[in-house]
Amino acid sequence: MQLNINGQTHEVDADADTPLLWVLRDNLGMTGTKFGCGLAQCGACSVLVDGQVTRSCVTTVDMLEGTEITTIEAIEQDDVGARVVEKWVEHQVPQCGYCQSGQVMAATALLKEVAQPTEEDVRAAMINLCRCGTYNYIKAAIDDLSGRKGEPL
Amino acid sequence: MTQRPDSPLKKRFSFAGIALIILAGGGWFVTRLPSSPFDGAAPQATPDLIARGEYVARQADCVACHSLEDGAPFAGGLEMGTPLGSIFATNITPDPQTGIGTYTLADFDRALRHGVTPDRRRLYPAMPYPSYEKMSDDDISALYAFFMNDVTPVQQAAAQSDIPWPLNIRWPLALWNVVFTTGQTYQTDPDQSEQWNRGAYLVEGAGHCGSCHTPRGMAMNEQGLDSSDPDFLSGALLDGWFAPSLRGDGAAGIGRWSEDDLFAFLSQGRNDHAVVFGSMTEAFNNSLQFMTDDDLRAISVYLKSLPGQGPGWQAQPATVTSLVEAAQSGLPGAETYMANCAACHGRDGLGQNEWIPALAGATSSQGTEPASQINVTLNGSGRVVADGMPDSYRMPPYRDRLNDTQIAEVLQFVRSSWGNTGTPVDTDAVADLRMRTDPASVAPIVLQMR
Repeated sequence: MQLNINGQTHEVDADADTPLLWVLRDNLGMTGTKFGCGLAQCGACSVLVDGQVTRSCVTTVDMLEGTEITTIEAIEQDDVGARVVEKWVEHQVPQCGYCQSGQVMAATALLKEVAQPTEEDVRAAMINLCRCGTYNYIKAAIDDLSGRKGEPL
Repeated sequence: MTQRPDSPLKKRFSFAGIALIILAGGGWFVTRLPSSPFDGAAPQATPDLIARGEYVARQADCVACHSLEDGAPFAGGLEMGTPLGSIFATNITPDPQTGIGTYTLADFDRALRHGVTPDRRRLYPAMPYPSYEKMSDDDISALYAFFMNDVTPVQQAAAQSDIPWPLNIRWPLALWNVVFTTGQTYQTDPDQSEQWNRGAYLVEGAGHCGSCHTPRGMAMNEQGLDSSDPDFLSGALLDGWFAPSLRGDGAAGIGRWSEDDLFAFLSQGRNDHAVVFGSMTEAFNNSLQFMTDDDLRAISVYLKSLPGQGPGWQAQPATVTSLVEAAQSGLPGAETYMANCAACHGRDGLGQNEWIPALAGATSSQGTEPASQINVTLNGSGRVVADGMPDSYRMPPYRDRLNDTQIAEVLQFVRSSWGNTGTPVDTDAVADLRMRTDPASVAPIVLQMR
């Protein structure tokens, strides 16, 4: 089976029902995408499939042939992704960092869909869980990216 | 000639006499032991027969009621709520004091196919003898051989029913049996194939599918016990789950499923349309998956022959496909769906092949009874174990993440999107099931069919 990941074609030897997350981490060694809950609940495993944020822990590889998959490893090759990472650094968003690759994917997907999301859009789209509680910093960074200057944290 | 009228005294005596005869006859009738073809027969117990009996026990799913989750197999104890009060499944291990150790083959047959114990008590039809009566003599003697020789005896007395007097008098059930059972083993339909007849035998008999899937009447009787009745397997609500129609109904039945789809569902617990959930999880884990491919194929052929009603589901494109659209559209439930459900079930509601069930077109997304969808959203799905392997993906419980209004709205969104035609979901219905599926509440649902 062939998967197009970050612009490269990878030949993958995996059963049809293998989750994309296992193929990324175990077969291809791309460990930037994290395993969180395994139930599509927390968002740590988020990747982009044709630009839509997708939980890789419950997405089987047989559904992904012919799609373009983007992972955190290549997010800075995308203009929007690069801006997100820049602001993430500027606002010092991460604490432990485990959930942050998923957070960056979610933020990138949102900003690619609407360049200037409202606060309501942000609340609707940024549903990934963060056990360190960096939500206020995430909101500040996205407000910044949306052209709103919030209170500095 | 003069006609001399009977004296009033004599008349009174003759009335009393007739009444006495009726009473005596009735008394004999309701307390009699029905005859069994095994009366006086010597039971057999060859290894082949015992093995066949074990298979019949799988078909009949005896453990579903006669075992507790952490208890010894067949030792009984499961509490079942009835409108009259609770009853408890009995110990059917061959223990002589508390189980069925002293039963003869004929006693065993009478309990199984006629609902009568050796001490002439009538069983409540929670024991599905109206279905089991269709089982063949051969299967009954095999089942007896298995229970007597291959089940470990366990000394454990069954708890007593809390149904109050006079409702706990059992003999009227003999009259119930006259009205609601046929007293006949399965009669082969010569116009149908051998395979169809095998499927009918399993579904109407040992499989007792109608116990859950057939609606019940005023007297708790199943409205229809075989394929000739249009109510048979037409769907019923019990224990907070709606057991859907197994007939060819376009939207609310399995009309859209092919025979192969049905076979996959019965043998693997999943297909492109659905994954077993609710009470069906246990029926699959303990019973269906152990049946042979030939038998499951026969069941599929038989079920596909049951005619249904109504047009099939017609797919419609999604009106909302992203979280931002959902937030902006203001459609109730749309945002909750995109945030909590879409990652697995898809923005298009089509799920992921056989791994995660579609909600678009799903049987549970149609019709007037949303209990199954409310229940599975609150409490998640059970573990499906196929060929010894637990499933990878399971519906998580949303009890603590979504409130009653959110659940009602998101289900309403599901039931009115993508061509689904289900009725709206009432917030009160969610609150009610939330309470009744909470074991710590004051009124939990007693029976969890296993």
